[in-house]
Amino acid sequence: MALLARYSDGAVAASRDVVLAIDESLARPELIIADQLSYDEIDRWPLDRVFSVPSHRSELRVGVEGRPAGARLVFTGAEAMTVAHSIFPELPRHRRREAGRQLRILGFSTLALASVVVAYVVGVPLIANRVTAVVPAEWEARLGDAAQGQIMQIIGAEGGFAVCDTDPQSLANRAIARFTAEVMEGTNSPFEPQIRVVKSDVPNAFALPGGSAFYFSALLEKTESADEFAGVMAHELGHVVHRHGMEGLIASSATGLLVGFVLGDMTNISVAAAIGATLIDSRFSREAEREADRFAAETALRLGFDPAALATLLERIAGDDRMSQSLAFLSTHPLTAERRAALEQVARETAATPHDPVFSAAEWQAIRSMCNGVVPNRMQQLDETPSVRVQRMPSN
Amino acid sequence: MTITTEGPWSLPRISCALVQFSGKRGELFGRLLRGYLLMIPTLGLYRFWLTTTKRRFYWQNTMIGGDRLEYTGSAIQLLVGFLFALGVFLPIYLVFFYLSFQSGTVTTIGYGAAALLLWFLSGYAIYRGRDFRLSRTLWRGVRFDQKGSAVGYAVRRFFWSLLVLATAGLAFPFMAGNLWRYRYDNTWFGDRRFSFTGSWKTVAWPFYRAWLVLAVCVGIAVLAFGAASAGTQGAVATLSVLILIPVGLLCFLYYRSRETTRMFSAVRLGEAALSVEVKARSLLGQYLLYGVCLLGALIVLGIVGLVIAQAFDANLQGGDFSPATIARAGWIGVVLGAGGYLATLSAFTLLGEVFIDCGFWMLVARNAVITNLESLADVRATAEDKSLAGEGLADALNVGSF
Repeated sequence: MALLARYSDGAVAASRDVVLAIDESLARPELIIADQLSYDEIDRWPLDRVFSVPSHRSELRVGVEGRPAGARLVFTGAEAMTVAHSIFPELPRHRRREAGRQLRILGFSTLALASVVVAYVVGVPLIANRVTAVVPAEWEARLGDAAQGQIMQIIGAEGGFAVCDTDPQSLANRAIARFTAEVMEGTNSPFEPQIRVVKSDVPNAFALPGGSAFYFSALLEKTESADEFAGVMAHELGHVVHRHGMEGLIASSATGLLVGFVLGDMTNISVAAAIGATLIDSRFSREAEREADRFAAETALRLGFDPAALATLLERIAGDDRMSQSLAFLSTHPLTAERRAALEQVARETAATPHDPVFSAAEWQAIRSMCNGVVPNRMQQLDETPSVRVQRMPSN
Repeated sequence: MTITTEGPWSLPRISCALVQFSGKRGELFGRLLRGYLLMIPTLGLYRFWLTTTKRRFYWQNTMIGGDRLEYTGSAIQLLVGFLFALGVFLPIYLVFFYLSFQSGTVTTIGYGAAALLLWFLSGYAIYRGRDFRLSRTLWRGVRFDQKGSAVGYAVRRFFWSLLVLATAGLAFPFMAGNLWRYRYDNTWFGDRRFSFTGSWKTVAWPFYRAWLVLAVCVGIAVLAFGAASAGTQGAVATLSVLILIPVGLLCFLYYRSRETTRMFSAVRLGEAALSVEVKARSLLGQYLLYGVCLLGALIVLGIVGLVIAQAFDANLQGGDFSPATIARAGWIGVVLGAGGYLATLSAFTLLGEVFIDCGFWMLVARNAVITNLESLADVRATAEDKSLAGEGLADALNVGSF
């Protein structure tokens, strides 16, 4: 039976029916391609140079080395394919080798990407830390200003926050400034933080990159002791000292790059990309919270106030319900229970140095009544995360 | 298959070659599902292999004059191209990083400029992507090619789209005519150049008709909203949206069918001419099929999710509430949530590819006729295109089609 095929020479755009024969008289057997009607020889292909190309399952399509890239023989139908396979014994081996090559490349690139992901998740807090160390403090201060502007826009407080006590020489403000200086002493931080108590209905406190920190009046109302107040402030100053805002920005820039790589959308516009980035960023954010807590606890022991008071306040504001426990992996903050355990751990491990109370009774009384009678500056709810990440205090 | 119509009056012979498509949706679905699943363990990298197998499905099942198209591209070329494209994005990321330190107008201008740059780049990417696909398409042993300048195309598309925006869409036919011409005037098969006989007039009438219908509907809705009393405004708005969405879809499908028909029918390759007829109702059929199947898929997904959640909830009810259980519950919840989210998202895109994209290809291929196909028998092949980074940016910007 003659073996028939469809032939294109790869030089001109034509295809024609050919009949094939094998010349085995040569050292390297050749496939003779001849016109189906006239039997005129068209070409000879060395059998061992023939390779198959991916094609429809109803046909076998082969090319040959040493001819134009588009030169093809096409065998259609099961019978012709079987015969063709028998005369090109090398094809399955070629195909397996090619499949193996593809698999190796896919495997190695997946491994490479996986190690990048692991190195990233493990290493970025470290890298972000190192990079942050070389970013000039002025840059971070500017970032803080930008963040403050954005927050004002988001919450619609165009006039800025209504600062509860505008007199820097008041008893309360002087106490806060003194406390801030004590906390910052020996930290080698390039910043001179300023904590302001402002009017807001949301129980929150946050620190901006560069050292501005805000304590909201609603949180102050729920703060029952000077130690709780000191704990929150020390936590926020911990963010300033560790430059977490800067670190977070560096980390999330890298996250965007990585997520874009995995999902194939470098613009990061798609929903999947946004969710992926949030998932990874929240991990760094939780780590930052733990670090700030640690700083607060160490400060508490140094200055002689109760490290666990911070946790007491947190529990009063946001207890961990079942929902937040389930979603703890997504949250930007660790669970309150976990934070209390960590704070108490520090308290157990280190003996507190004897120290005067951080605030005198009169000072604490002055601080508590700072916001009495202050009208908010067209302030709205701050329940959205501002577009530049700031470190927020209570877990919500 | 070649039909030769030979009149008894010995007129010049005109031959028509049909384009056939032998692919089945089920097969594409299988390939896509397998590819989507393989993307999970490969951290998304399998997408280059999926694109390749998908293209092979389309190309191999398309027969012109009895010969199948062959897709000669490989997944590795796409992967390498993507890596090259990252080089473009690193500076953009640095710019974004810098912008986050700035405030006010600088940020606004910066982000605006970046958005325009990305829009410009997507035009470039579309052209390069087309170049990659064409130069890896083989028919009767000769490959296609896209010449011309990708930057030139991106510039045209960029300014035309700004003009379209400024004229509330009225300039669209001019843009379509210009860009189709640029694409096809620079498309080659071997050493033979394509040409395009259409212009803005080719699509002007269907476009303005669809535009007018939509504009009148929007106008009526706005007037009705203005005339409605305060109490009924909500109802009027809801009703308007409910009417405008199907009307908008119908206008879009009508125009798309006309554009496909008329523009493809203006494509020439030497003496060979393409003619396509795609009916709006056939396109609508594909969309309806998509809608029905999507609804079915979402219902099935919802039921499966509910059953799993119930089973898991019952498990928790019976168990203790130790921190370990709750932590485990948290993980299961996260996995379920993420899985459900991914499954839903995948259902949309997967079924969209199976019904909308594949449906469109089927409609165009099965309703296409090429006259004087045999005039291509003396087209000569040109040198091989070995460039690797062809489609990189298209993959990075997610603008790749087929």
